Amino acid sequence: MNRKVYISSAFLIVLTIGLITAKIIHGGQSVYPESGVGLWRVSFIMDITGTGSRAKVRLTLPRDTEGQIIYNENFESAEMVFYTRERAQTGNRIGFWRSELLDGSKSINYTFSVKSKGLTFTIPTYLSRSKDPLKSYPQELHSWLDPSKYIQSENVSIERYLSKIIKKEKSISVIVRKIFDFVRGEVKYQSEKGSKDAKTTLEKLVADCGGQARLFVAFSRAAGIPSRLVGGLILDHGVKKTTHVWAENYIGNKWIPFDVVNNHYASIPANYLILYRGDYVLLKYVGLSRFDYFISIGRERIPPVDQPWSLYALPIHFQNLVHVLLLLPIGAVVVAFFRVIVGIPTFGTFAPILLALAFREISLVPGIICVIVIVGLGWLLRSLLDYLKILIIPRLSIIVTMVIMMVLGIILVGLNMGHRQLLYITLFPIVIITWLIERFSVLQIEDGTLVAAQTAFGTTVVAIAAYYLMKVAFLKNYLFAFPELLLSFIAILLLLGRYNGIRITELWRFYKLQKILRKK
Amino acid sequence: MLSDIGILGMNRRNADFTITRNPRKYYPLVDNKITTKELLESHGLPAPVLYFQIRHIFELKLLREITRLREFVIKPARGAAGRGILPIVDRVENKWKTSKGDLLTQEYVEYHISNILAGLYSLGGVDDDAFIEYYVRSHPVFNPISYHGVPDIRIILYMGIPVMAMLRLPTLKSGGKANLHQGAIGAGVSMQEGITLKGVYLGKLVDRHPDTGNSISGIRIPFWKTILEISAKTFNIFKLGYMGVDFVIDVLLGPLILELNARPGLNIQLANRDGLLTRLRGIDELMKSRCPEKLSPDERLEIFREMIKKIEGQYF
Repeated sequence: MNRKVYISSAFLIVLTIGLITAKIIHGGQSVYPESGVGLWRVSFIMDITGTGSRAKVRLTLPRDTEGQIIYNENFESAEMVFYTRERAQTGNRIGFWRSELLDGSKSINYTFSVKSKGLTFTIPTYLSRSKDPLKSYPQELHSWLDPSKYIQSENVSIERYLSKIIKKEKSISVIVRKIFDFVRGEVKYQSEKGSKDAKTTLEKLVADCGGQARLFVAFSRAAGIPSRLVGGLILDHGVKKTTHVWAENYIGNKWIPFDVVNNHYASIPANYLILYRGDYVLLKYVGLSRFDYFISIGRERIPPVDQPWSLYALPIHFQNLVHVLLLLPIGAVVVAFFRVIVGIPTFGTFAPILLALAFREISLVPGIICVIVIVGLGWLLRSLLDYLKILIIPRLSIIVTMVIMMVLGIILVGLNMGHRQLLYITLFPIVIITWLIERFSVLQIEDGTLVAAQTAFGTTVVAIAAYYLMKVAFLKNYLFAFPELLLSFIAILLLLGRYNGIRITELWRFYKLQKILRKK
Repeated sequence: MLSDIGILGMNRRNADFTITRNPRKYYPLVDNKITTKELLESHGLPAPVLYFQIRHIFELKLLREITRLREFVIKPARGAAGRGILPIVDRVENKWKTSKGDLLTQEYVEYHISNILAGLYSLGGVDDDAFIEYYVRSHPVFNPISYHGVPDIRIILYMGIPVMAMLRLPTLKSGGKANLHQGAIGAGVSMQEGITLKGVYLGKLVDRHPDTGNSISGIRIPFWKTILEISAKTFNIFKLGYMGVDFVIDVLLGPLILELNARPGLNIQLANRDGLLTRLRGIDELMKSRCPEKLSPDERLEIFREMIKKIEGQYF
């Protein structure tokens, strides 16, 4: 029997190693850092403060383009609802954090890794300026030809300047070069608070990247070339708040980048990260009394996974769900270890795991206090039911209802006494709490209060241990990168399942017996 | 290592004995007391007489038809840890008198049985059957060391061979129940002669009964030989390699099997001040070449005596 178990465990461990090796060799997944250039780790960290109202924060999220690959995305929602939306026209991806009730300060963040490379384009010289651009370009490009609020491409002075700059020139490549050189040559750079629009930039001839890019776009549109703003980030070690804006023109079925300020003509350097397209803002929020953010940029060591069968291929909000799923086996191993090796009694296998998950949601100390209060009150009420001799199924149904009533009570107390974090108690696993109350009561009646209290204490201790192990970041990350490790978890559990040694608590239970036997 | 000095731990009991030696399919035979009782009767082994069963609510009328019967016990078939047991000792006018002296109306007794049927006392709350059986009056030899309730004798059998025994004595704390978890005393028993040794009470080693103050050691259990013989016969019926058999000794009928247990506890080691593992290994050695299913009860007792000679011989 034991031999078979050892062989199975060994087989599972070898299988794990084999699968991981195969994945590293063939799947492009790496466990080793790469001396790679153009790998960055970027965090948007936002500190928000609300005063008890509905709050919403909007951040445009980067996406894969020709020059950049986004991977290992991660967001901390801090009990806010997080979701993403895609804009059909611009192709921008936008992340939203929403809270029905935001009271006090919170930190939300969004972190991702990017592999980016520089691109250089050549502008075909045979293309000439279109007489009626709205006819010659398809419908979906029209919004990049029409004037907009800050890009006044039909403004008289802009059109007048344009004809001065390009004269009778017809070739698109020459026109774009002339516009680029004009803006670069005539407009002085000055960093300012709030970018100017195209018209004002032309009047003052002083602007930051936003104003200069808008003027470039306005001239291009006036010349009948689809053009738009691009917003992004210049990747560089350190912490910053400033983003960057440049332009893109649609020439020969391709969007070609132009950065007037930093003199990148038809090219984009490797450290440019594209965040959004169009005359747009990176961040927006409502319902906040204070908002502050910074962007932290560092080197990433692990390259992206080009493996469609990896969990990294999942959309970001599903990734978070998978992270939670992967915590369950971690908890299961902890429970098995404490039950079999240490010998701590618990209420079943699942109660400690789910309690640990609940502690993750509302943090440890308030979590423990809530468990004690609810189970304690529930047990009192359950004793009343026992006196009335109620059958088991209706009895459990009554306890569920009572638990819900207590949760509602705690919520109302929290609301009126100013402890708003108590509102998150709704995340508690209600069914497990109900079952805890029932098991606690039955054990208390059958085996006495001491045994019931010991088991309740054991359940909490194991849940806390599972909670701390679930927080270990490297375990979480490796499990996510290599879910094959779960096979090794089964191997460990198989070995625990045939462990026939003494439990640590039995040393104490049999302490006196042991002394007597050793004397003989 | 505790296993070196012969102490059996929970993991080893589960991994090497209950999971390995007790096929799951035989569990229902011992989990349902009516099935157990019928099997024992069909093999001519003594158990408290089953008067009748109540499986449906409409059968409650059987209870009203009782005219002569004055003493009986109402039990759930799948009850755990002595729950739901109602011992009736007399009829006073229209009411039933319990062993504790309470007077219960006919309606209350019927309500109690309908609760049993609905699974109030069964493991996991599944629907259950109630049955009514002979009221055991304990042998008077135990009177000085028991407080209410009936003491019972637990024998651990390994491959049908008696390994260790203890006398379980109800206390005030256990509420008349003979369950160690609930506060009953477990007194060790010398296997050779059936004489009680010192005991364990709530995990502590004790010599005296906490309620009566009398010494629990030195009492000769009546019918000891018969008890060993009967228990050796149970293996052929229930086929559980590691089980506990609970006997009571009726003042008129002698030893009766009350129930069997597929996962007997480990406190019996504390009661006996001795480890189970030494004895279990001793039996393994003696059994080496023999197939346990093919042994007769007498051959098993032969192995038992050899094992005891080896084990107890070195201590006494």
